[in-house]
Amino acid sequence: MPTPMPSRRDLLRLISAAGAAACIPPFAEAVSLHAADLKKRGKACILLWMSGGPSQFETFSPLENHKNSGGTKAIATSVPGMQFAEYWPQAASVADHLAVIRSMTSKEGSHPRASYLLHTGYLPNPSARHPALGSIVASQLATRDAGETGDLPPIVRIGGRDRGDSGGGLLGRQWDPFDLRDATASPDNTVPPVPADRHMRRLGLMEQLGSGFAKSLPQEAADHAGLYRRATTMILSPSMAAFDVDAEPEAVRAEYGEGSFASGCLLARRLIEHGVSCVEVVSNGWDTHQDNFEKVKDLAGEVDRPYAALIRDLERRGMLDDTLVIWMGEFGRTPQVNPRGGRDHFPRSFNAVLAGGGVAGGAVVGRTDKAGVEVADRPVTVPDLFATFCKSMGIDPTIENMASSGRPIKLVDGGEAVHELF
Amino acid sequence: MAANLLIRHVLLAVVLATAVPLVAGAASPTPPPRCDDATFLRRATLDLIGRQPTPDELDAFVASRSSSKRTDLVNRLLADPAWATNWSRYFRDVIFYRRSDDRVILMARSLETFLSGHLAQPVARWDDIAREMITALGAPTEHGETAIIMAQMGETSDITAEVSRVFTGIQIQCAQCHDHFTDRWKRNQFHELAAFFPRVEIKRTSSDGPNQFEVVSRDLGRRGRGMKADNPRRGDLEHEMPDIDDPAKPGTVMQPKFFLTGHTLPLGTSDQERRETVARLITSEDNPWFARAIVNRVWTELVGDGFYDGIDDLGPDREPRFPEQLDELCRKFVTADHDLKALFRAVMATHAYQAKARPRTDASREIGGTSCPQRLRADQLFSQVMLALGIDEEAITARFGKQQGGARKLTSTPRGAFNQVFGYDPGLPRDEIAGSIPQALLLMNGKALARALDGNRPTLLGRVLREETDDRAVADELHVRTLARHATPAEIAVCLAHVRATGDRAEAFEDIFWALINSAEFIYRK
Repeated sequence: MPTPMPSRRDLLRLISAAGAAACIPPFAEAVSLHAADLKKRGKACILLWMSGGPSQFETFSPLENHKNSGGTKAIATSVPGMQFAEYWPQAASVADHLAVIRSMTSKEGSHPRASYLLHTGYLPNPSARHPALGSIVASQLATRDAGETGDLPPIVRIGGRDRGDSGGGLLGRQWDPFDLRDATASPDNTVPPVPADRHMRRLGLMEQLGSGFAKSLPQEAADHAGLYRRATTMILSPSMAAFDVDAEPEAVRAEYGEGSFASGCLLARRLIEHGVSCVEVVSNGWDTHQDNFEKVKDLAGEVDRPYAALIRDLERRGMLDDTLVIWMGEFGRTPQVNPRGGRDHFPRSFNAVLAGGGVAGGAVVGRTDKAGVEVADRPVTVPDLFATFCKSMGIDPTIENMASSGRPIKLVDGGEAVHELF
Repeated sequence: MAANLLIRHVLLAVVLATAVPLVAGAASPTPPPRCDDATFLRRATLDLIGRQPTPDELDAFVASRSSSKRTDLVNRLLADPAWATNWSRYFRDVIFYRRSDDRVILMARSLETFLSGHLAQPVARWDDIAREMITALGAPTEHGETAIIMAQMGETSDITAEVSRVFTGIQIQCAQCHDHFTDRWKRNQFHELAAFFPRVEIKRTSSDGPNQFEVVSRDLGRRGRGMKADNPRRGDLEHEMPDIDDPAKPGTVMQPKFFLTGHTLPLGTSDQERRETVARLITSEDNPWFARAIVNRVWTELVGDGFYDGIDDLGPDREPRFPEQLDELCRKFVTADHDLKALFRAVMATHAYQAKARPRTDASREIGGTSCPQRLRADQLFSQVMLALGIDEEAITARFGKQQGGARKLTSTPRGAFNQVFGYDPGLPRDEIAGSIPQALLLMNGKALARALDGNRPTLLGRVLREETDDRAVADELHVRTLARHATPAEIAVCLAHVRATGDRAEAFEDIFWALINSAEFIYRK
């Protein structure tokens, strides 16, 4: 009774044939084939998002011999001459895989707007909802067919619900991230309330009772059936086991350490292994207007170990070359310490760290003046950073998508990749 | 998308060449066939009050012999307070999906209250809504009319873009950095319009939470005292058009001038006078785009696609389909004092609205001239699920609020959480609105839904199974409650066969109810 599912190759052939029949310009076909090609090489991306704006000085751009350091000490790393703030001993031990950009610069100092900017590469603008990095990457790496994306959703976000800055935007809701409240809870609504065989019977019943509708509106019925097929494939897939971090050997869990960010990093690796294209792991609390030093020390205590463990783990499994790991937040913090022992918003100069994905490790890009205020060398703008992400993932940043206003929107608005990282 | 546009353009050419007007009420050579009464009832009830008809409403409507029953139904639903609620939620989405700042979500309730207050009036004046939103002042939690300003966090250029998009349907912001590529608008015209808004300011108050903002006029002194010269938030009392070649240089001071009618105001005019003036100019009968924008929007929402390709992308350089019908509806709307109810009444009386739905992809369908199916908006679908399963929204909202603790989060009500998964931007082209995996997962596996489907508990299904012993009648009732139509003999046969095969009556009907709630027919309105 059930028709055999067409293979991925069959689907691609069908898609190209349909494309030719519907006069789709040849480049669309070329792009989708190119994307299939990328997927084969297993490119992926993990964004470690420090929500609130991490202090550059207490992370990877420590100041030396200047009152703006606020007393934070610098420590040596595995790369001679490259220093991190004292709270990051584990990251320091994998510094040979890390490329620190110390000359990030933007003008946006409001959390939501800057968060949107660093997620999408664009400032918010009512004429178009720009797709976030994860959606850009996943949509380029996959087509809409289940055969292309694997059984799991292509984009997963851990610990960052309710934010409007990282969705598919003009690419559509199918490129919204699949949200997990935290890495240890099972994902929402993925366990059918009935046994699998009964679930399948229900789907069969749904199809039978829907045959009248399908006769009058075949396209809508086919879209709906496809969606339910993908959702069911996902929840009944053996790949769902990827969501269970407890299945990981004790030694590996110990290496990542305790806490929700640690579980998030471990889950990110498991998901990438199972074909997910992009995972965002969120660490909250970096908006340190008060008691900056105490707070960053605690936050680094949660992030440092799993961050380093993730890099080592990806490297051991031979996945690091194809997986871009990004550490960043929406902006940096003021060089001057305020009277409450805090640092305020500072987009003028801040930092971001890349690893893997073909990026040369052990590199430092740019610098600020001694006071940590102005970028003194090699400014990197947000579009430059996004062009760098694209280069790492093998994506053409000039590809255009249509906004609903009919205006073409490039994946990245200008910008030059930081070429010295490749 | 490309192919679709191509098809549209070819079709448009054919339609224009044959020039068959589908004027409301006028005799068209071959009006599209009318939909049946049950379909019309579900369509109109969902469109107007955001839920499906009840079993009683279905039987009464189908049984009625009155020749004016469709008109009477529309009038009755327009007088229902649920019409105001439903459409206030729609316009909330129109504004919030273009927000630059998520904190505006905290004023969702005050915006809905503001809008439904106007919509519930005997004459629901769109010009009043526009004027109050454009001239808004005050705390967002008290003054829902500040929503457009709050959604753009007081940014002059973004407020300008949104006021123009929502109330004139002209996307003048394309001319913000360069002259418009396809339309006539020049860069200075955008900035002359922006010059009506430079004195709007969002003041931060000392309190935390939703009350931390207030929209004020700033007619004295400089904004952002103490800000560095390169701070983009710094502004003066007049709007400046930035120097494209050197943004660091001071821009050109712009005098307020309305691009559609050419009216000007002198520099130095107060904020309130600027905004009152531009509100008057926008809503004036001299500006045909005020009526065209809302007529095209309502037509698009009700018929399935519009006179123009974009729901909010109109203008003198775009050719509308069925221009006579558009003009006729605009004339009626303006004559009726910009009454949205009069507009809905007029649209819903047309052949196009009352037609049998044709697939969006049907090449023989006249685009904008025949009803076509649409996915339900999140609010409609949520209300439909509640009603079908017999869940009391107020009761579960109270429980949900306690679990979540506090009402500050976006998802702090069951409806809000559902909207988060199923919502879409009403500005998106309809053929690009796709379902998502989390949507399917929620309807298939959601815990609250599974509980409400339990045939052995005191649920709606449990009650029906206890009170009705005839399986045939139960199968039909479940169809009526979900799809608002009676089951066909073939569907009854499928259900009875399933009951027989399953052996357990409650289990079998849980499956059937589940299949109906998850069906495409439930999620679309034909």
